[in-house]
Amino acid sequence: MSSASHSPPRPAERLLALALRSDAQRESVLGDLHEEYAARAVSSGSRAALWYWLQALSIGLRLCASAALEPPGRSANSASSPPHRGDSLMRTLDVEVRHALRALIKRPALTGILVLTLALGLGANAAIFALIDALVLRPFTMDGVDQIVVLSHTRDNDIDRQETVSPADFLDIRAQTDVVEHLAAAEWWSVNLVGRDEPEAVLGFQVSAGFLPALGVQPARGRNFLPDEETQGRHRRVILGHGLWQRRFAGDPSIVGSAIQINGAPYDVVGIAPEGFDFPWGAQLWAPLSFDAEAAARRRSRYLTLVGRLAPGRTLDDARAQMAVIGARLEEQHPDTNRGYHIRVHTLAQGMLDVGLGPILSLWQASAIFVLLIACANVANLLLARGAERQREMAVRLAIGASRSRVVRELLIESTILALVSVPAALAVAHVSLGVLRGAMPPKLVPFVAGWHSIDVDGRLFLFTASLAVAAALVFGLVPAIQAARPRLAESLKEGGRSATTGASRLRLRRGLVIGEVALALPLLVGCGLSILSVQRFLNGPQGYNVDGLLTMQLVLSEGSYPEEAARRRFAERAVEQLQSIPGALHAAAVNIMPAAGGNSTRTIEIDGRPNPDPANPPAADYRTATPGIFETLGIPILAGRGFTEADREDGQQVAIVSQSFAQRHWPDVDPLGKQVQPGTGPWLTVVGVCGDVIHNWFGRRNYPTVYRPLAQAPPSSMALLIRGSGDPAALAGEARRAIRAVDPAQPLFEVMVMTEVLRERTTGVRYVAAIMTAFGGLALLLAVIGVYGIMTFMVTQRTHEIGVRMALGATRRDVVRLAVGQTSRLTLIGAAIGVVLSVALGRIVEAGLLGIISSDLRVVAVVAGTLVTVALAAGYIPARRAAAIDPVIALRAE
Amino acid sequence: MYLGEFEQVVLLAALRLGDDAYAIPIREEIERRTGRTVARGALYTALERLEEKRYLRSRMSTPLPERGGRSRRYFTVTPAGVVALRHSRSSLLNLWQGIERLLEP
Repeated sequence: MSSASHSPPRPAERLLALALRSDAQRESVLGDLHEEYAARAVSSGSRAALWYWLQALSIGLRLCASAALEPPGRSANSASSPPHRGDSLMRTLDVEVRHALRALIKRPALTGILVLTLALGLGANAAIFALIDALVLRPFTMDGVDQIVVLSHTRDNDIDRQETVSPADFLDIRAQTDVVEHLAAAEWWSVNLVGRDEPEAVLGFQVSAGFLPALGVQPARGRNFLPDEETQGRHRRVILGHGLWQRRFAGDPSIVGSAIQINGAPYDVVGIAPEGFDFPWGAQLWAPLSFDAEAAARRRSRYLTLVGRLAPGRTLDDARAQMAVIGARLEEQHPDTNRGYHIRVHTLAQGMLDVGLGPILSLWQASAIFVLLIACANVANLLLARGAERQREMAVRLAIGASRSRVVRELLIESTILALVSVPAALAVAHVSLGVLRGAMPPKLVPFVAGWHSIDVDGRLFLFTASLAVAAALVFGLVPAIQAARPRLAESLKEGGRSATTGASRLRLRRGLVIGEVALALPLLVGCGLSILSVQRFLNGPQGYNVDGLLTMQLVLSEGSYPEEAARRRFAERAVEQLQSIPGALHAAAVNIMPAAGGNSTRTIEIDGRPNPDPANPPAADYRTATPGIFETLGIPILAGRGFTEADREDGQQVAIVSQSFAQRHWPDVDPLGKQVQPGTGPWLTVVGVCGDVIHNWFGRRNYPTVYRPLAQAPPSSMALLIRGSGDPAALAGEARRAIRAVDPAQPLFEVMVMTEVLRERTTGVRYVAAIMTAFGGLALLLAVIGVYGIMTFMVTQRTHEIGVRMALGATRRDVVRLAVGQTSRLTLIGAAIGVVLSVALGRIVEAGLLGIISSDLRVVAVVAGTLVTVALAAGYIPARRAAAIDPVIALRAE
Repeated sequence: MYLGEFEQVVLLAALRLGDDAYAIPIREEIERRTGRTVARGALYTALERLEEKRYLRSRMSTPLPERGGRSRRYFTVTPAGVVALRHSRSSLLNLWQGIERLLEP
């Protein structure tokens, strides 16, 4: 590490310098902190930065506070340090800041509550901003990242940006552009590594030669791919990821130049990627992408992700202009495949952004802002209460000639200081919550969230939080300040003027704040309820198959080892045979895609005798090829006709079983058995059975029309193996691995998991959303309850005298409780009513954030509103009880 | 004039350190000898106040690279500071006289 990296965070240093009054102090304090920081930074860099921030803020505050508490003028006479002189406005401000600080220090308990409330509100926002900053704004850290572009080739309402370009279009675009250099395509590549160790499945990418140069990355060892390695026959080269090289090849440098076995064929290792490079999506190795003549002509299948680098001096707009021209030309030349498709140019961060992330983050950001608004309402409420106490002070100052603007300014300064003091606490809240968030993310998903490692508290986050704090101070400070500067002078100054502390408009304002808090809290609680419900439904809802007792595993048969259909068929059948013979296994089956798998396989569908009315938009179905035991193994019922049998061989009649939803959609009023269906470009199939629907995933693949074929008639190259056991399925894992090794010792298995675990992993994202929404909901509820409690206490105190009179005139305690609780319930009911309207209006954001698993449900809204009102009433009940316990004699004497 | 308790602690630490007394070792010395943690802000405030009272005098060192090119501020206890410490000590000792036995465990 260079010594420059041991410099403390600049913004923190600059901020602290503002609080230091003399040159000598600045020199010594900043120097001391630098010295201590450097020692800490050696062992832990990011923690040292946080430490510096906290020290800078606490030292700065303490020095400011001590200056404020000193009699004015004294520090200016300090002999050792020359006085700090500003212009006269600065001096007035200086005095006012001291006034404000003194006012805050004089009420430590109140200040503490205010700071805590603001810290929670600001901290929630800071944490979400840190997420957005790291995941959306700056997820990648390559050199010259601003010059890297991602191209997509999509229709107007398509949202995907990756895997959208066909090979033929890619080759045309690359040949025609001079604005984008090193234009490269990348394609997923499942890799089976064999040799030296256990066989292993690894995520790889096949990429064009321009891929690494486009990203500004040089291999740490060896060389990049050469352009002529994009030709078939010369394409068996590979660059290893640093992690894979260390782990599997023990960091052996001589591996460069030798060959390794991948998917049953030898590949020459030509280079090692630099440490930390795993683009895209956690890739561990890369090979040249080459097209045979048939693939190079494909325009209809769009599966390539394109990256490139802007040529020197060219901008994103230049690229967009040129791509518009090239796109239009392609549309003209190939109207049947390209009509309506446009080439779009994105920055790397935008282009690689996961489409699901946007709605989730906006849901969180909206929630965080709601929490902050509730916090602001609470703070405003407390400040109004204190404003009431200070009304006499304000009245006196106005009476002896202070200008209103000055009083308002002073109170605003007080609010701003309050907000700024909360910033370090807010950053601490953010730091802790981000730590929890990072810890909760399963390591398996981390590679798919670019920028995940860079999430933490930094200078940008501090600036964001500080600006938000100032904005919040204006929100919660302005109203009380204006109120305070407009007291009725004569009344306030009258000795013992009780009316001075009430004031109808002020009370109205505070009631409004309580209503607002409840109204804001409700949508958050609804979001929280909906997200918890979706996780529940996801995990425990009906899936259409029997989740318990299932062991699952995945494998990919490589092209090299299993080039022929017959070989793949033989493998699948022998594997199922072996698995079935395991003691404790009831059924076993192989299927191309198992339920709840991460991937999917679909085909467009043609139905015999029912021509599709819209040829541009043919119906589609999920496509499964499975061994006969699939329905018993998964527990999917056969509703009509028959299941598959051993007689459904490759040379027999081509048959299909369709799901119930498929049958209902395509043959709503006739018997589907015996009908003909053609998935994709394959053969026509005869429907021999109808089976139950399954939920493949909860994000829009619930009871989707599905067509099943016998695996023998269409053996896939990647498949899942499923075993239903009589006991705990996890106990079968060892035997299952042995069984597969007996079939092919070089075949790696991955994701050997129990089905319930698979489902749990599928819900990680949703559970994440739910956990965060729960935190927001809890915060909102807590703050709203504090608000209700605060104002009820205040109102009861204000009305002590009135209550005394009522009781003296014969009102019972129950009457008094009813009076006070009645007020609370009015306010919360109005708040809840507004909240219900807000929840319904905001329902779409919540739905989008929960990826459409659940639609906002009025029952949820009703339950949540009921809960909120009940809790708020309970919070109001405590002060009401206190009011009822008042001794009328004492209450009247309070006069 | 009497010294506050923390002021005494700071002066004693500065006296013990002699020529090496700048804020970082002073703080460490106090923490080591008394076992209590000292907030940096509190220490800087106390040093400032003691210098104002003329119990401490400070001088700046030459700029040092490990401090980002900034100087250290070394503190020396002045004769007036020593007098104040002596005064505090004797008043405390007078007060302790005869009651130490009561506080023995």
